[in-house]
Amino acid sequence: MTLVLILLPIAAGFALFALPKGDRTIGKIAGCVVAAITFFIPIFARGGGDFTARWLSRPFTAAFHFNAGGISYWIALLLALCTFCAILAANVPRLRTFIALVLILEGTMLGVFTARDLLAFALFWDLMLIPVFFTLVGWGQHRETAWRYIIYNFAGGLTLLLATAAFGVIYGSTDVIGQPAHQLAGSWMPWIFAGFAFAFLVKTPVFPLHTWMPATYGDSPSPMAAVVSAVQSKAGLYGFIVIALPFLRGAMHASQWLFIVLGLISLLYGAFVALVQTDAKRIVAYSSLSHLGLILLAIFSFNAVALEGALVYIVAHGLFSAALFLILGYVEQREETRSLVRLGGLGRANPRLAGAFTIAALAALGLPGLAGFVGEIVILAGVFKGGYVWPALVALVPIVIAAAYMLRLLQGAINGPEVVDLPERRDLTWVEGLALAPLLAALVVLGTNPHAVLSTLAVISK
Amino acid sequence: MSMNVYTQADWNAVIPLFVVGVTALVVLFADLLAKHGAKRYVSLIIGIAGLVVAGALCARGYGHDYDAFGGGFVLGGFAVVFEEIIVVSAIFSLVLYSAIGSEDRMSGAVALMLWSTAGAMLMAGAANLMTIFLGLELLSLALYCLCGLAIRPTSRESALKYLILSSTASGFMLYGMALLFGAGGSVALASLTVPAMAHNPLFWLGSGLFLIGIAFKLSLVPFHLWAPDVYEGAPLPVTAFMSVVTKAGTLAVFARFAYGALPAGTAHALLLPIWILAGISMVAGNLGMLAQTDMKRLLAYSGIAQIGYIVAALAGGTSLGMRYAIYYLAAYMFMNLGAFAVVALGSSDNEEGSRIASFHGLGRRRPVLAAAMTFFLLALAGFPPTAGFLGKILILSTNVGAGYAWLAGLLILGTAISLYAYFKIIRLMYDRDESQRVRDVRPAAPLAWVSLAICVIGVLVMTFYPLTPSNVLPLVK
Repeated sequence: MTLVLILLPIAAGFALFALPKGDRTIGKIAGCVVAAITFFIPIFARGGGDFTARWLSRPFTAAFHFNAGGISYWIALLLALCTFCAILAANVPRLRTFIALVLILEGTMLGVFTARDLLAFALFWDLMLIPVFFTLVGWGQHRETAWRYIIYNFAGGLTLLLATAAFGVIYGSTDVIGQPAHQLAGSWMPWIFAGFAFAFLVKTPVFPLHTWMPATYGDSPSPMAAVVSAVQSKAGLYGFIVIALPFLRGAMHASQWLFIVLGLISLLYGAFVALVQTDAKRIVAYSSLSHLGLILLAIFSFNAVALEGALVYIVAHGLFSAALFLILGYVEQREETRSLVRLGGLGRANPRLAGAFTIAALAALGLPGLAGFVGEIVILAGVFKGGYVWPALVALVPIVIAAAYMLRLLQGAINGPEVVDLPERRDLTWVEGLALAPLLAALVVLGTNPHAVLSTLAVISK
Repeated sequence: MSMNVYTQADWNAVIPLFVVGVTALVVLFADLLAKHGAKRYVSLIIGIAGLVVAGALCARGYGHDYDAFGGGFVLGGFAVVFEEIIVVSAIFSLVLYSAIGSEDRMSGAVALMLWSTAGAMLMAGAANLMTIFLGLELLSLALYCLCGLAIRPTSRESALKYLILSSTASGFMLYGMALLFGAGGSVALASLTVPAMAHNPLFWLGSGLFLIGIAFKLSLVPFHLWAPDVYEGAPLPVTAFMSVVTKAGTLAVFARFAYGALPAGTAHALLLPIWILAGISMVAGNLGMLAQTDMKRLLAYSGIAQIGYIVAALAGGTSLGMRYAIYYLAAYMFMNLGAFAVVALGSSDNEEGSRIASFHGLGRRRPVLAAAMTFFLLALAGFPPTAGFLGKILILSTNVGAGYAWLAGLLILGTAISLYAYFKIIRLMYDRDESQRVRDVRPAAPLAWVSLAICVIGVLVMTFYPLTPSNVLPLVK
């Protein structure tokens, strides 16, 4: 079933190209159905089982090995949910092609997050860049954005490839993800780790490798930005957790402070930049940089509690950043701008939009009762408990700033006096609302009952 | 030496070459008898039939090692794999020629390509200096004529340039061979492996000159400058042919020399310059792609980088390295010929659509063609799920395992550079700007589409079933 999980969206994506170009309804329905199926496959198949087929026997053994259990289970659910909502919310020119690309992206990312073999992981890692590149080419406003995205990320993909090859040669097999931990040793290990780490840092992204990110999120249509920020940006952190921690912990320990400092810089830098942006999408983009820095900090504090927090926060951040991007997409469609200078007072005429926006923004700033809070508090407790008092204290600062920039966003767009010359004032339609409801509901459920995720993850983090 | 020293088995080893050579004659005669309008297909069908028969005859030799003609032609897995790659490339090139070449010159082009193919096949099995040179000259002489076949001045320029520069390289090689013969007193490559050679200055000098010739024919940087000019001027199917067949034949000779003909202890010192050149080619070839405005020149530079990857796989002299070099060569054949097939299918009768600007908006005008081109460019760039991706990881792992990590690093650097050049074309094909109108072209050529599809399938299948030939060593007895 896991193989179906990966191939179904990809095949469906390519099949959509056979539809007539101008079609908007069938493509959307088909896309939603496929995304919904990929959501329910892991639930009903309890992770989807194990698929494995031999690939290479020389120079190291490699297999097409996929399994949607453990952490992969939650990320697969998150991905399917975000894809469903993104497709339902999508309203762009050339919709059929766009949905096809979103579906292909979903399939390739499911490949990344369910791969149990490093080579298969690297294969899908590169593959998931292509649909985003084509989206930026087809719908982006600036020519350079697509370049920045592909060059940064492919450079990361190449070091990942080299590291994978070296790992395979030294360890003899790449079919290792999810296998019992085995710490590699030897003079090669730091280099292998460096190759993986570069790819993961670019992807997350982490300061100073983040410069592709605000442009990409700002330039791609909101549904694509939602999927990329919610799920694709987690691939690097996921890689640290399932590859680096079990196999390269020595190198991680050796370079621990470098990563803690990078995480803290991302946290602070992202938060401060978000505070002064006027482009609403860029505010969310920089807030992502900040939040993901916190997860990096959690991973590199080598503490089981912090790691559990990181896993919850990965899911929580996916939910609220997807919701925020979709909402900003709605705002942009209505008002043809996303500048805080121009926007204002949308809440009067759009109560439903305002309500949804408020819930998502509050989750992002870590309001207790919503999912973001659980992740943050568990991470901070874990980092503190691990003896990293100063990093934990520094990490508190951006959490305060997060409240400032999120409220500023909310104030600027929703509250305040109405701007009379904005083009359109229609509230959310029921389809648009339906695209947000699952994300917001999941934020509340996860915020009030985090145990569901935590208990599954406790097993993995040991 | 009388003829009956040679047995039936000796002749059997080279029968495929004779089949190819004789087919060329048949093509020329059949052309005289065929009606105008049918000539194109008569030549094509006879040519392909001859190549298919030759390919089938070759295949019998796999796993049956045999030293034909006293070591002149060594039959075995190695020769067979290279022969098959050459034959398949030749078939694709013939198909491309039939799609866009002029009918008048069809039979001549087919005959010349077949003779050239026979030369390359001879190189694949050649294990003494005489047969190596014989194969090389047969390959090259036919190519000089083929380069000049197109009706435009650059084609003649291309032919002349190739003639002069290639002859110079052959001169280097021949002088090197003479010195090697002087050193060993025999034309057999095996005679070079005696330990005393390691201290013989003639051997070092001869090998050096020989390798310069090889580097030129492989178009390794800095001996590459001829390739873009010649590729640009030659008719497109001939360019496609050269880009694979010349390289395959020369690579076979180089591999045989590097793996089988060197006295113990000399390999590292003697071949290190070649590995360095391979490393430089990966970077410089990809850099060269960035500035190109013509697709054929771009593919020439791409080929320079790709041959760098292939040669790098041989560094360290491991048997796995040899297998991966062959794997990548076969993958390169499919991706490269596929890309050429797209260029051919986007061309008009009297003008080859090889200007990069003519790819503007191809995604809108010819979606299937653009998708195919995207696929091949991604493959050349090493994106999954293509054989280019897997080939790179195999070469990387060989380099790391054999202690040539710096080559792996250069491969990564070169690939990163190449990304921009390949994606520039993809970007152009899917550009939304409709202001730049490009004249649309050309009816479909069914066989060229078939070969395009075969290339796509080849690249995909090789990714998921990465068979590499196990029976490729030893190379010299």
